Amino acid sequence: MSTAVKRLANVKTRRETGLDYVISAMNLLTPFGAKQIKEQKPFFPGQEGALEAELDRVGQMVETAEQNHKEIGILQETFMMTKDNTFSIERSGSSVLSVVEIFELKNLLLLMDKIRSLSTRISLPEEFVPEDITELLDVLDPGGDRLNTFYIYDSFSEKLAQLRREKKNMEREIRKGQKALRSEIREKHGLSLTPKFDITISKSDSATIKMIEEISELAKSDEDYMSVTFTLVPDAEVQAHMKELDEITADIEEEELNVRGRLSKEIHKHSKRLLDNCEKIGRLDIILAKALYAKAHNCTKPEIVKEHVLEFEDGRHLQVEEIIKKKGGEYCPVSISLKDGVTCITGANMGGKTISLKLTGMVAILAQYGYFVPCKSARVGLSNFMQILIGDSQSIERGLSSFGSEMEELKEIIDNSKDRSLLLIDEIASGTNPVEGLALTKSIVDYLKGKTYISLITTHFETVTADKDVVNMQVTGLANVDFEKLNREIRYANRRERINIIQKYMDYRLTRVDDAAEIPKDALNIAKMLGISSSIIDKAKEYIV
Amino acid sequence: MYLLDELSEKYKRISIVGMAKNAGKTTALNYLIEEAMDEGITLGITSTGRDGEGTDVVTGTDKPRVFLDTDTIVSVPKQLYEMADAGLEIVKMTDYGSSLGQIMLCRVVDSGYVQVAGPVINAQHVEMCEEMLRLGADLVLIDGAIDRKSIAAPGTSDAIILSTGAVLSRKMSKVVEETAHTVNLYRLPNLEDGRERDLLTEENIEQISLIRDGQLVTLDRSTGLGAGKFLDSKIDDKVTHVFVPGAFTHSIVADINPKKLRNITFVLKDPTKIFIGTMMWNQFRKRGLNIKVLENINVAAITVNPTSPGGYAFDHEELVKAMQEAIPDIPVIDVRM
Repeated sequence: MSTAVKRLANVKTRRETGLDYVISAMNLLTPFGAKQIKEQKPFFPGQEGALEAELDRVGQMVETAEQNHKEIGILQETFMMTKDNTFSIERSGSSVLSVVEIFELKNLLLLMDKIRSLSTRISLPEEFVPEDITELLDVLDPGGDRLNTFYIYDSFSEKLAQLRREKKNMEREIRKGQKALRSEIREKHGLSLTPKFDITISKSDSATIKMIEEISELAKSDEDYMSVTFTLVPDAEVQAHMKELDEITADIEEEELNVRGRLSKEIHKHSKRLLDNCEKIGRLDIILAKALYAKAHNCTKPEIVKEHVLEFEDGRHLQVEEIIKKKGGEYCPVSISLKDGVTCITGANMGGKTISLKLTGMVAILAQYGYFVPCKSARVGLSNFMQILIGDSQSIERGLSSFGSEMEELKEIIDNSKDRSLLLIDEIASGTNPVEGLALTKSIVDYLKGKTYISLITTHFETVTADKDVVNMQVTGLANVDFEKLNREIRYANRRERINIIQKYMDYRLTRVDDAAEIPKDALNIAKMLGISSSIIDKAKEYIV
Repeated sequence: MYLLDELSEKYKRISIVGMAKNAGKTTALNYLIEEAMDEGITLGITSTGRDGEGTDVVTGTDKPRVFLDTDTIVSVPKQLYEMADAGLEIVKMTDYGSSLGQIMLCRVVDSGYVQVAGPVINAQHVEMCEEMLRLGADLVLIDGAIDRKSIAAPGTSDAIILSTGAVLSRKMSKVVEETAHTVNLYRLPNLEDGRERDLLTEENIEQISLIRDGQLVTLDRSTGLGAGKFLDSKIDDKVTHVFVPGAFTHSIVADINPKKLRNITFVLKDPTKIFIGTMMWNQFRKRGLNIKVLENINVAAITVNPTSPGGYAFDHEELVKAMQEAIPDIPVIDVRM
């Protein structure tokens, strides 16, 4: 059996935990960085050292960016100008590059040179500093102007310069010869030719046409209904010059090709260094983007530990936080502490259980991909496998019922889980009848309890948490709320405001509940606040009894 | 006479626009380039699309190539660079794309023939012309890709040079008449600054609108096609202006009561929106048609090509003379002499 590439999380998990969101929100500026980020790999158990090193790089970059504001700005501008010319670099070994390609590479070299001097100035670690390419730059810029323009300049080849001078002389000779002929014709026949050495005569002037037809130095070159154009016939000397000019032009073209060939070879000689530099620039781009993102979003370096745990204090789901900030609200951070075994999140509707589940995934996956995490502090032990089981619109698009797709994913999870897995399960079996749903949930919990997995499950089934081996985390919810005040406020609110008011009063924090306390029943309360008529609510209360 | 010297003092960007295909637009461009060489003016040369190819892609007729002197700034797409016979120093790789690759700005180091192409998007065009002027061009000449007067839309240049020629008609009088008509349309007066202009330019209005009693009234019609009667019913004593954002055709004017017509002013975005022939136009003017535009077009010069690719030609001098008589205040140049 071939060893398949080890996969930490599937596409859905990367999306639902918000890893994709963070990556797309990062500001990558070079084509090299953009390419590398698509190929980035997570760190697995056993690679804690390498992950630490990566996180240290990010941390160092955060400091560097703080201290060298101006230089980082210039560096970013320079990044934005880079284009991916690796194809030309690779091609230089087997083919002659075109002038445009050499121009683009010269530009890239100038940018590398600039990035090199900038990164040396702000003392970046050696691994990010592009190597010196002055030697090749000198070849492509023999004048040493360091301007980002390019042409096969005379200075590339003495022979080329010589040929071009000859061409100029020859053109001058030809023009001189033609001009002499022109003035001769003017003197002899009283005809004045245009600067292009031709003359157009109206057909009505047949006498002149007849006269010109007699002149051997002029030949008919064009004719229409109304006029005839005659052009000067070059004499033998001029013709010889023209022939020579053609030869010189051919020689010039050949020499230009030689020069391009030589330059291509030189580029090829340095190709490894150039490609390495592109790689380095890409890595620098990513690290800088990670650092600036962490800084802008108040992320901290997670502590990476050997044992399989996942703990964080005051975590914020970045995507949700952005939405709340846009609305002018304040995010209520959540803390959690998980280890192998099953933990349930229970609590009020609208209490943020699903967001807390996603947040847990976000912290874990960001840490494992070498990113800072949106928490005050975090301790993370690496996992071999991560998956989130959560309803999404895609299963409906595929024509599966929510229960059907849930079971499909559950099977995938159970088949793929291995030692040190992180499983995040959102309200499983809530879409079927409560008798079987509860039974199924309990048996899943029983199955997961004994494994070396961190399993986090949100549920409304309270008997699940009665199991003494299951840790119960409860959303504080509306437990400490002054309902009178809340009701007063909500009475005159419209629909959208009601939701906002409930969110304002809601306490999203999780508390560990050790005794098998009753799950707070806020569903009817919330339904009432959202405007469901009291006759329905009251009837429902009767049914509970 | 120093035509270009004069032009470059008045204008920075001049579009060369043909009255029809094969009106001699590229011949005119070449003529102007030669003039510039003689007058020592550094040109920037660009095109609103691919131009300067050996044969015209649309009709298959011969098209003269563009010969450029040293120091000229020219826009060349990546794929045509190698095909240029002139020596071109690449000065800048722009971000503007074209069907033939990114557009590059080059400086001519060794004079020769070049195939010119420029960005297709108007805004990019304006930006690129600025860049050419920064790089040292005294005057930028813009060649249109399709020889249609409709692309003379203002905004991309300060003035145009109108190329006209025998291709328009076998009758010389007709060529002169049509050209004069076009020039007169282009020179229609601009709507003066003031309340009406503010009303019509505040937002991009896409429906036919009226100014009635100093207020803007938007009608539920976007084109004028068949709108004449409808419009007539909406015009009363208090309407002063009628704004037509789209094509302005004879059917709009024909159905409007002549008494009403005399009392209103039609306002168009620019003169290229008018699709009314000379005869009809003159009749309408007699009936009292008033037209103003938001932006008219400066015609800096007219070039004439006495030869048609259809195989006939006019007497050069006669054509120039007749044209100059019809349009006395704009220089007329024969590009073939």
